Parts: sequence; structure tokens; C-alpha cells
Amino acid sequence: MRIAEVIGTVTLSRSHPALANYRWVIGVPFSLKAIEQGQAADGEDFVILDELQAGHGQKIGVSEGGEAAVPFLPARKPVDAYCACLLDSLDVK
Amino acid sequence: MQLAKIVGHAISSVKHPSLHGWRLALVQPLTATNQPDGEPVLAIDVLGSAHGQHVIVSNDGLGARQVVGHKNSPARWMVLGICDSQRAEA
Repeated sequence: MRIAEVIGTVTLSRSHPALANYRWVIGVPFSLKAIEQGQAADGEDFVILDELQAGHGQKIGVSEGGEAAVPFLPARKPVDAYCACLLDSLDVK
Repeated sequence: MQLAKIVGHAISSVKHPSLHGWRLALVQPLTATNQPDGEPVLAIDVLGSAHGQHVIVSNDGLGARQVVGHKNSPARWMVLGICDSQRAEA
């Protein structure tokens, strides 16, 4: 799971039928340098399926690739980024 | 499986149910010469690894699902071992 900061949401008026009625957020992943120095997320933003109601500015753990679709099995959904946890704190010392 | 370094730990209270009770370590995957390889990731840490330790992580989702015992878990990364020493020859 990469760590990302939520910078916005996406709404879809038309979507693949399996993806209707889900919440989507836009996340920016962190590099090691950004985490250690407390800087803003600096990666390339991507869209994440969110079932945990992640808020704006929140840090989240994002499961990517095939594992993003696993929580929905046996239903099959074309998803490759899933918000798996909301981070309360990140201890990098 | 890949070499990585423990760079931190994360605390999360709202998460996928399969992740409850598991320690989440923030690991930075490394190249053979210990240079950072990509962005850091959260891995399930069953070994209680400490900050700064070099570890081996696996990115096998099936293995992680078997470890957490939940067939619908989004877990993928997992700390498999703690390195005592390593040597890379050019």
C-alpha cells in the first residue's frame, strides 16, 4: 500500500455498471523525502475507490494492482486503487 | 521479494476489517546497493521490526491474504524476514 494524501473527489455520471454508486477520491502519493521532511505529497495523482469516507487532506493507505479488486470478490470490478486504511498518524522519527 | 528498510510505522483506526490487529510498517524498497527503489509502502509486519532495520518484503497478495486469514483482504506487502547482513557483489 502506498501512502497518499487526498486532494479531491471525483463524481461519475456514467460509469462501468460494476462501479456505480461508489465514492472516488483523488490521491497524491508521497515520496520518502516528502514523508520524512513533512512536506506535501509530491507524486503523480491518481483516482482511488474509497469505502472509508476519506476526508480532504487526509493521509490514506492505497492498495494497488490486482489486490484493489480483491475486497469485492466474488464480484468482479475493474479497479486498481482501493483506499484500505485512513492513517491517524505516521511515525517516521 | 525485495530488500527494504523500515522507515516508520503507521497507526490507523478506520481500515479494511482484514487489517485489524496487524502492525503496519512503512518500508522503503531498496536496490541491491541500498538505494531507494520507488515510493515507500505500508507492509503488514508480523515480525515486530524496528525503525531502521533492513528487511525482506514480499509483494504477493495471495500470501498476504493467507497470513491475515481473510480472503477478501486488500493487503499485498508483508515483512517476511529481518536481515542480519547482506552483501552485493558487482
